[in-house]
Amino acid sequence: MVKVYSITQCPWCDKVKKYLKSKGIAYEEHNIELSDADRDECYKISGDLIVPVTTVNGKDFVVSFDKAKLDALLGL
Amino acid sequence: MTKERKTKDVIIIGAGMAGLTAALYAGRSNLSTLVLENAIVGGQIANAVGIENYPGFTKVSGSDLMTTVQQQAEAAGAEVDEFDMIERVDLMGKTKIVETQSYIYEAKVVIITSGMERRKLPLKEEAKYSGRGVHYCELCDGHMYQDKVISVMGGGNAAVDAANFLTKYAKELYLIHRSKLRADKASQDKLFANPKVKVLLETEIRALHGEGRLTSITIYDKAKGEERELPVDAIFVNIGVVPNTHLFEGQVKMTESGRILAGEDCRTNLPGVFAAGDVREKEIRQLTTAAADGTTAALLAEKYIESL
Repeated sequence: MVKVYSITQCPWCDKVKKYLKSKGIAYEEHNIELSDADRDECYKISGDLIVPVTTVNGKDFVVSFDKAKLDALLGL
Repeated sequence: MTKERKTKDVIIIGAGMAGLTAALYAGRSNLSTLVLENAIVGGQIANAVGIENYPGFTKVSGSDLMTTVQQQAEAAGAEVDEFDMIERVDLMGKTKIVETQSYIYEAKVVIITSGMERRKLPLKEEAKYSGRGVHYCELCDGHMYQDKVISVMGGGNAAVDAANFLTKYAKELYLIHRSKLRADKASQDKLFANPKVKVLLETEIRALHGEGRLTSITIYDKAKGEERELPVDAIFVNIGVVPNTHLFEGQVKMTESGRILAGEDCRTNLPGVFAAGDVREKEIRQLTTAAADGTTAALLAEKYIESL
């Protein structure tokens, strides 16, 4: 399960989502503008006050767009 | 693993306004055109909330404007790749080499439109608080500071526009700048009219404090010669930009600050290599001049290719 914590207007969030789509990887989007619980969860995961945060299988995560880390976590 | 080699007429490095405009024109000239972008398609302006000085639009977001220009470029036949990172370039020979993580491209022309990136906060604690109070993207990270005390560092248009945008989240907002404001009057008027805003001019940020995340900063009032601690939850840094030109060092002639030397014709010291947009050394850097540069570079690139 891949989750992307993002906000509506965020170029780096868009880039992560476009990249996942380009690789055919399904993801669940969590817009932290729409949910305080998601916002708290996003901060708890990374410890950073920053989006996007992408999690893979609920434990490993990538902050912002880091292709090498995403590829490694997703086995690409 | 050996990388596949591909050929293109034109490779454009950077997908901001200059690069995408060049792609639009090169595509319409039936040149096989590839745009490579290591960061964000749209460039710096993709983060702009409202652009009010681009002709043809009363007000448009940077993201919407640049998405449209990308669509125009792609409809004209250009390809945009924002995921295959450039590793090295060799621009010295007649055939230009651009090596990415996946391919080795050979091109007749390279147009450099790699633009600028934000200058980092020049304090030793920057790395410790980056993403934990020190930020460089208002659009992405502003939301994390609902009802918090936000500061913006800088005095140009980008800083004042960022401050105006962030007032929608902030309980209180400080604009802190070491000298006088340089932003245009309309943006300044909007800022000063907002009761949440306090403007601290002739003021430097000297240190950052907080356990795990930023909670306060030390500021120095130059006029009074006084230092004091100011509680803030975030600093959004807007203290200028630096050129993205490391890839081209030793090949393309640059200024000491790293801007590429090219005239109004966008020609660099290397035949077949053009520089356009903010990355080119020039006096005025606006979206409109970036579009103009992209146009010039693409049309002269076509002439150069015809001459080969």
